[in-house]
Amino acid sequence: MLQQQALDIPAGATELRSAAARRGIGQPLTSALMLAPALLLCGVFIFVPASLAIVGSFFSFGLTSQAWVWNGVGNYAEALADPIFWLALRNNVIIVLGSIVLQVGMGTVLAAILDRGIPSGRTFFRTIIFAPMVISAVAVALIWLIILDPNIGMLNSIVKAIGLTPPSRGWLGDPSVSIWMVLVVAAWQYTGFMMVLILAGLQGIPNDLYEAASIDGARGLTAFWHITLPSIRNVLLVAVLITTIGGFKVFDFIYVLTQGGPANATQVLGTYVYLQAFNLQNMGYANAIAVVLLAIAVVLGWLQLKASRRAS
Amino acid sequence: MSRFRLANIVLYGVLSLWSIFVLLPLLWMVLASFKTRREIFTNPLGLPGTLNFDSFARAWRVGVPQFMINSAIVTVLSVALIVFAAGMAAYVLARAESRWMQAIYLLLVAGFAVPPTAVLVPLFQMVSAAGFLNSHLAIVLPYAAYGIPFTTVLFYAFFLDFPRELEDAARLDGCNQLQVLFLVIVPLSGPAVASAAIFQAVFIWNEFPLALLMLTQPEMKTLPVGILQLQGTYASDWPAVMAGLAVATLPILAVFVFSQKYFVRSLAGLGK
Repeated sequence: MLQQQALDIPAGATELRSAAARRGIGQPLTSALMLAPALLLCGVFIFVPASLAIVGSFFSFGLTSQAWVWNGVGNYAEALADPIFWLALRNNVIIVLGSIVLQVGMGTVLAAILDRGIPSGRTFFRTIIFAPMVISAVAVALIWLIILDPNIGMLNSIVKAIGLTPPSRGWLGDPSVSIWMVLVVAAWQYTGFMMVLILAGLQGIPNDLYEAASIDGARGLTAFWHITLPSIRNVLLVAVLITTIGGFKVFDFIYVLTQGGPANATQVLGTYVYLQAFNLQNMGYANAIAVVLLAIAVVLGWLQLKASRRAS
Repeated sequence: MSRFRLANIVLYGVLSLWSIFVLLPLLWMVLASFKTRREIFTNPLGLPGTLNFDSFARAWRVGVPQFMINSAIVTVLSVALIVFAAGMAAYVLARAESRWMQAIYLLLVAGFAVPPTAVLVPLFQMVSAAGFLNSHLAIVLPYAAYGIPFTTVLFYAFFLDFPRELEDAARLDGCNQLQVLFLVIVPLSGPAVASAAIFQAVFIWNEFPLALLMLTQPEMKTLPVGILQLQGTYASDWPAVMAGLAVATLPILAVFVFSQKYFVRSLAGLGK
């Protein structure tokens, strides 16, 4: 997940490269052998399947059938006319926007408090808030599945205890509520990650800036608004892009929490590809949707590369 | 002074509220795993009546220990492959200057952009055609491939900053590139290797969609797919599911608490 979202090209790399080259590396055979494992693995398991997905998106075929039937742009035409495809895309966009607000927004607030807001307890709070990041998304989703359960769930008991009525079909069973629950679960797991990412950016702001501003009378919120936020613009951009890519790729939470339901209310591109391919056996159509996902990921990944270069 | 104190209370309050939000579900998981199947319905919020380990025994019987062993095997093999392959590639690329090498580096970096979920269909068909389904190899090799681009970029940056004098001395002594890398550079790269390895290990330990597709036999399943099976087996036995989750998540949380320096360093590096 995250690793595909991260890019980090150090500034000044090219100058160092030429200096290295002057010392000469004249062992082409050794070089080729040392490159081979990485290129072979990436070639076979990343580039070949990506190409096959694109090629396969122009054919019709089933999971076990060997026969690929040429279908031209038929699969793409089918997607354009498929309301569930659009619903899935819309749900991805909702998850992206909601996650940016919740995870990047709350992550920034928490990071700013940790960076300059409190005199002690930094490591304590950072450890707790970051911890969900290391748990598997499946485990997180299962824990929340039970918390949100209408019969035994903690949320229902709490909501009833303060005198409110929980949704009658359950938190995940109500199509108008379930997608928001997915956002809450995602925020629970990833806000700490955004906090740590942004905190690293905040710690790079020179203290003199704050001292100068303090002499001019800018402290607290004013300093946050006029110094902190502008200084971490690029880190925030990277955080937004990582969250956006994650929001388009989301699969684990949905698969475990709702399987895309109720009535496709939480269907996303990732789960829809899976449904079409492995439950409905429309491999060609699944590839066409996957290529849409791939195109979105490549464009966002390229933007992230550019943003990371500026941030460093 | 009182204004300062008020601000402090508000800021600590925000941190504490989010921390409680994070901790409550985990606490609830542990409490629920000690309850009986009746208690979880009659008393969802309260403490369990007795400390009862039956649900742990039930979770254990579904195969949680086997899932953990499988996850450990898969994670160790994949991370070793990633560090080995990406380390060698990054070293050659960081020390070369031809246009070809530049192009190869960009190609590897481009591998970042491809999400595994977008290539599930062809990947499954390839692995299935090769007869690798339900073997650890079926996910170790793809995991290694998808970990290589990011790790190559990390190591590439690290090798560019590595002092050349040491390498030159070794080369004068007749070492070739491979020997320079493994005898001179690797022994001095502990922290860089640790950060990269830990980052990949967390990702691989938790990976779900590929494992779900490739591993359908219970004895091959990794932890994320296995604990989902736990839910399928014990449809209404929530205490057993919670006990399985507790066994699966608490060790990795403990590892995190004791090695968080590396976690935070490798993850924080993403933004810079």
